[in-house]
Amino acid sequence: MSLALIAALPFLGALLPGVMIRAGRNACATVTGSVTALALLGILLHAPAVMRGEVVTARFEWIPALGLNATFMLDGLGLLFSLLILGIGLLIITYARFYLAKSDPMGQFYTYLLLFQGAMVGIVLSDNVLLLLIFWELTSLSSFLLIGYWRHLPEGRQGARMALAVTGMGGLAMIGGMLILGNIAGSYDLSVILTQGDAIRADPLYLPALILILLGAFTKSAQFPFHFWLPHAMAAPTPVSAYLHSATMVKAGLFLMARLWPVLSGTDAWFWLVGGAGLITMVLGAVIALFKDDLKALLAFSTVSHLGLITMLLGLGTEFGAVAAVFHIINHATFKAALFMTAGIVDHEAHTRDIRRLGGLRALMPVTFVIAAIGSLSMAGIPAFNGFLSKEMMLEAAWDTGTGFAVLATLGALFSVGYSLRYLVHTFLGPVRDDYPHTPHDPGPGLWLPPAFLAVLVVVIGLVPQAAVGGFVKVVAGAVTLGEPTVYLKLWHGLVPALYMSIAAVVGGAILLALHGGLSRAWDAAPRPEAKAIFDALVDACARAARGLSDGLHDGAVSRYLAIMTAAVLAYGFWAWSGGEHTPGLRIATPLSPVPVIFAALLAVASLALVALHRRRFVALVVISIVGLVVSMAFVHFSAPDLALTQLTVEVVTIILLLLALNYLPKATPVETTAARRLLDGAIALGAGIGVAALTWAFLSRDRALPAISDYHLANSYEGGGGNNVVNVILVDFRGFDTMGEIIVLGIAALVIFALVDGLLRGPASRWLANRVPDMPQAGDRHPLMMVVATRIALPIALAVAVFIFLRGHNEPGGGFIAGLVAAIALLMQYMASGFAWSESRQHFDYHGVIALGVAIAVLTGVASLLLGWNFLTSTNEYVTVWPLSKVHLASAIAFDLGVFLTVVGSVMLALASLSRIGRRAGEGVNLTPMDIDPEAPGRAGKEPH
Amino acid sequence: MALWMEILISALLVLAGLFAIVGSFGLIRLPDPMTRLHAPTKATTLGIGGVLIASMVYFWAAEGRVSAHELLITLFLFLSAPITALFIAKVHLHQSEKPEALPKPGEAVDWASFAPDGPARGVRPAPEAGDGDAARQG
Repeated sequence: MSLALIAALPFLGALLPGVMIRAGRNACATVTGSVTALALLGILLHAPAVMRGEVVTARFEWIPALGLNATFMLDGLGLLFSLLILGIGLLIITYARFYLAKSDPMGQFYTYLLLFQGAMVGIVLSDNVLLLLIFWELTSLSSFLLIGYWRHLPEGRQGARMALAVTGMGGLAMIGGMLILGNIAGSYDLSVILTQGDAIRADPLYLPALILILLGAFTKSAQFPFHFWLPHAMAAPTPVSAYLHSATMVKAGLFLMARLWPVLSGTDAWFWLVGGAGLITMVLGAVIALFKDDLKALLAFSTVSHLGLITMLLGLGTEFGAVAAVFHIINHATFKAALFMTAGIVDHEAHTRDIRRLGGLRALMPVTFVIAAIGSLSMAGIPAFNGFLSKEMMLEAAWDTGTGFAVLATLGALFSVGYSLRYLVHTFLGPVRDDYPHTPHDPGPGLWLPPAFLAVLVVVIGLVPQAAVGGFVKVVAGAVTLGEPTVYLKLWHGLVPALYMSIAAVVGGAILLALHGGLSRAWDAAPRPEAKAIFDALVDACARAARGLSDGLHDGAVSRYLAIMTAAVLAYGFWAWSGGEHTPGLRIATPLSPVPVIFAALLAVASLALVALHRRRFVALVVISIVGLVVSMAFVHFSAPDLALTQLTVEVVTIILLLLALNYLPKATPVETTAARRLLDGAIALGAGIGVAALTWAFLSRDRALPAISDYHLANSYEGGGGNNVVNVILVDFRGFDTMGEIIVLGIAALVIFALVDGLLRGPASRWLANRVPDMPQAGDRHPLMMVVATRIALPIALAVAVFIFLRGHNEPGGGFIAGLVAAIALLMQYMASGFAWSESRQHFDYHGVIALGVAIAVLTGVASLLLGWNFLTSTNEYVTVWPLSKVHLASAIAFDLGVFLTVVGSVMLALASLSRIGRRAGEGVNLTPMDIDPEAPGRAGKEPH
Repeated sequence: MALWMEILISALLVLAGLFAIVGSFGLIRLPDPMTRLHAPTKATTLGIGGVLIASMVYFWAAEGRVSAHELLITLFLFLSAPITALFIAKVHLHQSEKPEALPKPGEAVDWASFAPDGPARGVRPAPEAGDGDAARQG
């Protein structure tokens, strides 16, 4: 089975549980288990090859330009972890089937579990660090879903959030580290990076890369000072805790350290950072674990401690350390998963996990007791169980490192014995009590078989280590160190220092347990930092700072955004200008002709007038329209008829719509700012104006640095786009994709206007409108005869003009956009002449539909060329003769132009319709007749008969 | 092009320019909006008309074809100018005149703009926003 398929299987399988849950919980669990079993089978099929020392690979090019390839590899290390992930995953799936209550959505649980499993398998099989990062982040996300599975519990939600925040941030840091690493090695493929160890360690960026990667690994593996999230993640259902915190998620950090061990280890920085953090974590976790009364919290801190142990072993940088680390990963996964499951069983049966309320369960739950005893004795490091072996190796490695290490390691082991024995003694031994929340008894085999299986492994490995896993550990350790480590696991090492340390730890641990009552009271009385409070305070402070910053910059007033943005652009522009070497442009200016001078003067006068008159809004609108008209005249002057037509029509539509909107708004802008503020605003505006003018001057007074694209357009317009009107061909062909985006934006804008008005009419403004007294005298004859007649005459002419402009657009000035505006103006005139409702009741099309149709036609035109095997929006053209018309040059882009046309018409009309709704809410009546006073009708014409 | 043709075209253009200036001058100098309304009519009719005739003559003389664009421009001017004037007059009546001070337009009817039942003429009440209104918009 291809490695890529193995990594994909859980993701594909994640689709099944949600469907299969309809067939019942057993079916759901069976299907989920089958998916995992299938993936496990795939791994096992590769196992013989890996055991022979081969590396199985699978390779796809994904985004080669980024160096991101979907490459997978399976070596000893990957084999170990994928066996752990899938094997323990299978046990967890079985266990969860019987653990989850009927009210828990099981399909969802298995979906999350499979997603998580897929992400984990992806991490350990990735041969590309970028791919690995993607899976790494996926584990953070999917574990968030799993930890917060009981979303009705606040602890669950908070724990999930904390885990996501910590591991997610670590992942972000790791991205930086991985990129540096890939940059040094010249490839993002792990197999290449692993061969570049010397170059990487010698690189000046080695230390930053190391720290960033370790941030990712430490947060994931809950190493000091990031250990605090793991206990809070215990709010998850026990199967999740057992899975994530024994075998998988927290081991991802260890995996990464082991994976990069050949390139990163062996330096002082690695030794102190990794070894030091591991040692501190080991001791700290063990001490805290001793004083936890919650079974799962105890196990959580013990996990922290054991992760620290493994981290420390990796940090030593020696071959022996690596072997011990690998061996302990196996051992810890077996006994800790079993212990978590027994804790879950106790919780499930006794309805409490509080050690103080438990005790004497041995008689009530003999099977569970045996499993828990094997697990906890192994965790304590008692001979005949596998934990003893790896702990001996750890102590030996610590002894070889130095006295300080040896003392601290013994201390950690001592506390480890303490809490392990406490787990066993205080929960299971002692007299049977009569005040359990629920009388416990052994559960069905579904719950105890999975941990029992692991317990058997614990004993087997403990008794015959070399025969059971010796060869496997050798292969895995070989993959870590890229060498041929000597591995000989045995129960009896002789009278070595490690044995004495171990004896000291066991005796000390037993004494600790005996003194536990007093110690616990002293511990509770002692002041100590509460990680969750610190974390929450930190998060709150960050949120406050972010809010303060964004509220300061974005207070909702558009004038502030504009001022900040303009001032920033101005400052940067000035900075760039003053930093460079400015020389005046050498291009000779063309002589001034009178027309542009007049235009420029008009523009300047209109702009100044706008500043002076902007508080009188109607007048301001008139002045703005002067600016628009001058601009369109400028287009005419520079021989750009398309632009002139567009500008003119846009101007008309905009001014009409603004006038209509202004009808319901105050006619004057009140003074709301201080004189100083206005002075500042004026200075910013003036600065920006001067800056833009200077920039324009600078551009116009030099020759272009690069050839202009217009020559290409001119040369290819007819050849490539089938049209003589270059502007239109640019719109519908060269840059058709742009236009498509623009008409979509236009349609969205119209829909937003509609939505805004709709919200307005449902809100308090609706009442205000209904009671509004017009602020100007209202004319009696709103729809005068002359206007009605003139617009009726103009309608067919204007529509004919629109069609004409539309059809000729590809070769002569015109096009869909202008034609759309002309048609919209023709309709607008009818609405102005006879009122919106009267006109609307005489045509039956839905403006939303018109917009949608326009966008759809435009997109489909593009898709059509895709279907014909060309690129998106490729156009073709043909000369067509349709009787009785003369020969017409038609381009396929005309269909695209039709889409533009319809969108424009629909958008303008929808904006108008929205404004008219405001009008009707404000009490404007609906006409029955086209005009208010009809001279043909006798008496009071048009009045509704009473 | 014959000299007399050129003279004719030039004369038309100059005449048109004169009327345009007179119209603009009147727009500034005349005392109130109602009288001011007269001034631009000179510019739109005689002023622009002169330019249009000059243009037609030019194309006929220079290129030997009859140009019809000018007729269309004239048509649109005839359509739009009176309506603009009407609206300007209406605004003026509303803003500056009292209905009592105006002469009666006829026997039985009043000034349309000052009709006593005002905007209610010929209309039915607006539907409540949010029900039929929203339904119509879909």
